[in-house]
Amino acid sequence: MLRLWPLRQISRLQNAISLTQQACNKSSVPAPSPELVEVFVDDKQVFVEPGTTVLQACAAAGVEIPRFCYHDRLSIAGNCRMCLVEVERSAKPVASCAMPVMKGMKVKTDSPVTRKAREGVMEFLLVNHPLDCPICDQGGECDLQDQSMAFGSDRSRFTDNAFTGKRAVEDKNIGPLIKTIMTRCIHCTRCIRFASEIAGVEDLGTSGRGTEMQVGTYVEKMFKSEMSGNVIDLCPVGALTSKPYAFTARPWENRRIESVDVMDAVGSNIVVCMRSNEVMRILPRLNEDINEEWISDKTRFAYDGLKRQRLTTPFVRSGTGELVPADWESAFVKIAERVNATDGDLIAGVAGGQVDAEALIALKDMLNRLGSESVCTEEKFPMTNSGIDFRSNYIMNTTISGIEESDLILLVGTNPRLEAPLVNARIRKTWINSDLCVTVLGAPVDLSYDYQYLGDSFELLTDILNDKHPLAKGLKEASKPMIILGSAVLQGENSGAILDTVKSLSEKLRAGSEQEDWKVFNVLHTQANQVGALDLGYAPGVDAMKGSKPSVLFLLGADAGTVKREDLYENALVVYIGHHGDYGAQIADVVLPAAAYTEKDAVYVNTEGRAQIGRQAVSPPGMARQDWKIIRALSEMLGVTLPYDKLSDVRARLGEVSPTFNHAGQVEDAGFFNLSDSATVPRKESRPAVQPLSPALLSLRDFYMTDPISRASLTMAKCVQAVDDAEKNPYSKPEQS
Amino acid sequence: MAKYIEKISNALKIVKHNGGIVGTYLGLYRRDDFKWGTFVGEDKYGNKYYKNDYFFMGKSRWVEYPLSVGHDYDASQIPSEWHRWLQYIADEPPTQLPLPHRPWMADHTENFSGTSREYVPYSTTRPKVEAWVPPKK
Amino acid sequence: MATLKVFCARSNLQGLLRSAIRPVCATQQHRNHFIQVGQKEKSLEWSPIMDRAATSVFWNELFRGLGITFGMVLKEPATINYPFEKGPLSPRFRGEHALRRYPSGEERCIACKLCEAICPAQAITIEAEPRADGSRRTTRYDIDMTKCIYCGFCQEACPVDAIVEGPNFEYSTETREELLYNKEKLLSNGDKWEPEIAANLQADYLYR
Repeated sequence: MLRLWPLRQISRLQNAISLTQQACNKSSVPAPSPELVEVFVDDKQVFVEPGTTVLQACAAAGVEIPRFCYHDRLSIAGNCRMCLVEVERSAKPVASCAMPVMKGMKVKTDSPVTRKAREGVMEFLLVNHPLDCPICDQGGECDLQDQSMAFGSDRSRFTDNAFTGKRAVEDKNIGPLIKTIMTRCIHCTRCIRFASEIAGVEDLGTSGRGTEMQVGTYVEKMFKSEMSGNVIDLCPVGALTSKPYAFTARPWENRRIESVDVMDAVGSNIVVCMRSNEVMRILPRLNEDINEEWISDKTRFAYDGLKRQRLTTPFVRSGTGELVPADWESAFVKIAERVNATDGDLIAGVAGGQVDAEALIALKDMLNRLGSESVCTEEKFPMTNSGIDFRSNYIMNTTISGIEESDLILLVGTNPRLEAPLVNARIRKTWINSDLCVTVLGAPVDLSYDYQYLGDSFELLTDILNDKHPLAKGLKEASKPMIILGSAVLQGENSGAILDTVKSLSEKLRAGSEQEDWKVFNVLHTQANQVGALDLGYAPGVDAMKGSKPSVLFLLGADAGTVKREDLYENALVVYIGHHGDYGAQIADVVLPAAAYTEKDAVYVNTEGRAQIGRQAVSPPGMARQDWKIIRALSEMLGVTLPYDKLSDVRARLGEVSPTFNHAGQVEDAGFFNLSDSATVPRKESRPAVQPLSPALLSLRDFYMTDPISRASLTMAKCVQAVDDAEKNPYSKPEQS
Repeated sequence: MAKYIEKISNALKIVKHNGGIVGTYLGLYRRDDFKWGTFVGEDKYGNKYYKNDYFFMGKSRWVEYPLSVGHDYDASQIPSEWHRWLQYIADEPPTQLPLPHRPWMADHTENFSGTSREYVPYSTTRPKVEAWVPPKK
Repeated sequence: MATLKVFCARSNLQGLLRSAIRPVCATQQHRNHFIQVGQKEKSLEWSPIMDRAATSVFWNELFRGLGITFGMVLKEPATINYPFEKGPLSPRFRGEHALRRYPSGEERCIACKLCEAICPAQAITIEAEPRADGSRRTTRYDIDMTKCIYCGFCQEACPVDAIVEGPNFEYSTETREELLYNKEKLLSNGDKWEPEIAANLQADYLYR
């Protein structure tokens, strides 16, 4: 907490000094575990650590204390007073969220005093809270509604507001994502604490006192954060609600399907809320190892892209060169005619970053059976040295939760705040709670925490490797250093040199470290299933494929625009299998409509190498089918029937290819660091990289539209527009949407 | 004896109410009933309303549909205001106690089922998925 | 009084005697308090025989029945001559549904979906979104009248008296799909029946 404003200025100084002198070498020896404190909750004895709050002690005893302002992951505010409990030999009821336990404390959570205190607090809260539950989007999942039912009184003594009216506050416009109805606000300040502590954006705050108190941005402006949507979940009342979701559904009519996000490579766990075969909204699902309980705005709000620009029927390019709707059979026949007349070597497949593992393995198996070995991903990864031969070369080895143990992080060519907002949130959390020191080699972007910016040239990296840079010493002295290499810098020419240098540096640090199992090297991918594709044996990058000038090309959700018609054989047949009419569908000759991530049971491997199962929430629109089923059906037409008929068969095949897929939700440990670096393959293409180590996403504007789904999303387009407007004039009143 | 005199006088009232022997016969032909009573009012669709408390509740208020509808008379032709009186929900007919009228209120229509003007259900929402249309060359 | 006592004593004595004797010698009991409930046996004397014959020959019973029928023609009918006369209804009568408007003409429904939630037959389907002016409105308000059980919970649940079951019950249809009401149909019902609906609600205000 030391690094929260205003103490941050001091710590910033400390950072600068420590970096140059001893580079964050902090002795964080854990204190000897102190004795447990005995507490009685409703005469039930519990032992808790000293320093725990009464509320937590009650939770340990299995008693839930009502609360509005208290939240596990935020600092304690103690301003809602809902958590008042009676403590024996205490003159007044005690705010349990802010009171540390004392030895022999006797807490009464259901005594008349406690109940009366709660009822009184509730009465005060409801004095000015509007009775507009029927039109409030929080209705049905509102803490105030629930707790007033459980603990409130059925009448109020504050009847004068029948004449004077309740307090009314003007609504603020804080952007296209969050709808504010500030009259409903009960001033719990959760949103403010989230913004300043978790998101690192000090936009929100309070002004005024008493009845005049208002939560807002002081001057009207956009709440510019990549995780702003989380305040919607945090808000215990309906003051902050989702704008795209506004009025569309009620919580009780939604069916909740637990799934996995594909907007970035973090693989955030999500809950897809579905009603009448329509995705109504997306909420985070608790997973301490990945996303805790937050998700990024793209994850949360890009779902309306699933309803626009969709491929609902197969298309076949007619003689006049136009795509005309067709049925499945004629589309398959058209492909089969061409494939059967083509040599296997001239068939190739390119997979996009959001494709699920089932479809990947189906396409690879099919092409292999047709005699082609040319299957690749759109995203590049240098194949120098040991390339992707070892899994540890291309995954985030320390895992996301491992960030919390680290004491020095070197970010190379990545902007985690936009590429993987939850990784960034984890770094920020660690940065706040420990003496973590962050250094950046890349672009001087806003990362929501302080860092030492080193520069953006490749030479700096070699300098660090060759101990010519002051950071080299810091890295050596750090007990658990982390190097996070962004995949964006690996897309350029000669990026193999970057990878090799970072790998050598990491290996040097790992070998020199006293921590036996600490892994230094991390790659932060941006594509949801890039790791899965590499695990399944896809070649990274389309350059090799282009060299062979294929005559039949299968684009499996490949929309990044890496392949152009000029790269192919003349009159090549391009088959696009995907869910959106984006780049791939436009250049294709045959378009086969597939399912998006909410429409299929599918496995994705995130940047940590963690295979996770996303579940089907809705059915694919129109004639669209699930990807692997399309490929399975097509393989039959091509005469190379794939040996799986059921999803379980495909999963078994996945398990055969890579053990990663055998236990979903866990990280398969990747070893062989010493082997991977000690060049089993002689170094080639080790020319130094010339381009700067700059990440692809620099400003918040770039964050919103990165894939076919978010590009089709109106909400995301509005966000880009709002950010642009805010850039032009940050304090103009944004247009009400 | 008085009983029979009453019967005869009622018969005369019926004939008078219906406007003569022929009218009585035509009324019987249309309504299968002889009745007499006091005229209460007429709505804008030509339905005439009568009442006679001589009859028991259920028969004491009645409607005579206009000749223009012929034999296609239907209970659903009675407008809202008079429906209330005719079904004994209120005792005051709308001539005595007019119900408020707003400009947005619609004219009464009968039940059109089975005719060309019948209600056909349709969706009031937009399609849920917007399909991609390939760009024209 | 005295005679009654003697009678009682005698009958008691007799009863005692009988119960004492019965086990010894089973005799035919004498029962004298039976009542004839069936058809009486027809007398076989000449005069009644002649009467019966005359009744059948001259269709006496037929004419008596015709007489009753004729008498009934002259009597007041006991039935209601629908559709000219109609029976009494309560202001709380739960008939055809309607969506109401405010006196200004603004539709009342705010898409809170409480009626949808409470509907035991799941006959109501609602979809909503913000209207252009930012207010909360439905885009779909469908009632499947074939599912509806006319329990009236929807109008009980409605916080703004938007959905009501009006007094109309004469909406029978010839096809099934005509009973799948959408929002427009329900609103037009409201526009047609609003005078009566408003008056009925007013009549019932004390008890709501």
